[in-house]
Amino acid sequence: MITLRKYLKQSVTYKVLNGLMYAATDFLDTTGKIVQLGLHVLKCICKFEISWKELLTQCDRFGVSSLPITLSIVGMTSIIVASQVAHEMVKQGGGNFVGMLMTILIVREVGAIMSGFAITSMIGSSLASELATMRVTEQVDAIDVLGVDSVRYLFVPRVLSGAIMMPFVVIVASFVGVLVGAVTSDLFASLPYRAYFDSAYLGLYMKDLSVCIFKAIFFGAAIALISCTCGYFASGGAKGVGLATTKAVVWSFIAIVVLDMVFAVLFFY
Amino acid sequence: MSIEVKNLVKKFEDKTVINDISFKVNDGEILAIVGFSGSGKSTVLKLICGLIPYDSGEVLTSQGDIAMVFQYSALFDSLNVADNIAFALHERKDLRKKYKESEIKNIVSQKLELVGLKGIENKFPSELSGGMQKRVSFARAIVTNPNIILYDEPTAGLDPMSSTLIEDYIVTLKREINAASIVVTHQMSTITRTADRVIMLYDGKIVFEGTPYELLQQNTPYTKQFVTASLEGPMQMQA
Repeated sequence: MITLRKYLKQSVTYKVLNGLMYAATDFLDTTGKIVQLGLHVLKCICKFEISWKELLTQCDRFGVSSLPITLSIVGMTSIIVASQVAHEMVKQGGGNFVGMLMTILIVREVGAIMSGFAITSMIGSSLASELATMRVTEQVDAIDVLGVDSVRYLFVPRVLSGAIMMPFVVIVASFVGVLVGAVTSDLFASLPYRAYFDSAYLGLYMKDLSVCIFKAIFFGAAIALISCTCGYFASGGAKGVGLATTKAVVWSFIAIVVLDMVFAVLFFY
Repeated sequence: MSIEVKNLVKKFEDKTVINDISFKVNDGEILAIVGFSGSGKSTVLKLICGLIPYDSGEVLTSQGDIAMVFQYSALFDSLNVADNIAFALHERKDLRKKYKESEIKNIVSQKLELVGLKGIENKFPSELSGGMQKRVSFARAIVTNPNIILYDEPTAGLDPMSSTLIEDYIVTLKREINAASIVVTHQMSTITRTADRVIMLYDGKIVFEGTPYELLQQNTPYTKQFVTASLEGPMQMQA
């Protein structure tokens, strides 16, 4: 019997099932923690229990310091798309629709998604590693022992700054994306700026802009909440900090895609 | 009574790290908890201040604040010394509106003076030595005038002179605020210079309770092994 159990434990099927079981448990555990802390943050915000000084610091970190990298990523994505789309469309006689297509694409999807990825890589990872380091060096314990609600102090300014600053970042990034699209279309397909912007104006719908801003609020809050949660529950020294940061980035990427899918179905289907 | 621990049990998964321990600490008294690494000393402190929940038993404390001085100081590295010390006064719900900024500044200066570090308000933790960080963490812990202070290995990693200084501050703080204190340590000088009573933990249980003098007399196999730091005896180091 013992031999059979040992044999089963060594089998590939057992290891695969065990791995799946662990992944499922970890998924449910992390989701539960994110929801629980998210509700706590919401409660604090509703009660106006906000550290305003810390909120300003986090807004600067989220919105201002991340802007160069976000604009670069959205701008370069715009170059990649416009260089291929403009050339083909002009060749097929659809040059007048390039601006419209680029605007719809950037305002609806590229601006928000690429900004989300850039912010996750830059800010999300730093939030997770910061909180994880605080956890493993007992700074979070010190906050609790001093009688301060550590979730209120650490999460509320970060999540709120994400929700406030992300729309600003996405709007600026989308604007830059559309502009870069115009320059690229001119350089790669000799498309006049006038034709591009006339068409771009036609493709700019209020609904798209509103959904873009609404989506950005959720993306910003989700990135901050997930990153903070992963860092907050870190354990085990330097390795734990690394694992928490990786987890925060992976979970934030997944959350951005899932949220984007939900918004696409809700508003454009 | 300031702290009373009754039949406390804590398990981590299948392992019982604290196994049915009971003790009392009165106001103005310092209890040292000693034992080899992994005997559950720090866990007792975390159970008392509520950082981790216990499985069964009771922890009774008198009304008022509990403060803790952490092993590695746990100062907030993004805040300067003044903001570290004033953290509870700025952020705690019940204290936020109680003091004006000028009053907070005075309290911070007073506490820094008490630990012999006047004039370093604007320095950051990374600019301080280990001993100074520890003293700042003392100042931060006592800013709310707690009636219970828990010290987790307060002299670990410090040179002998800094250790002596810290030990003197523990005694001074006891005198100044008449708090009930628990010092977790395995340093003999800290035990003899600060403690009124000592309990020794092994395998989650109390195996000795007495005064520092009784500990030094080595009347039991446990105290003998601990004081002589011998590998031979009833306490086995975990592999």
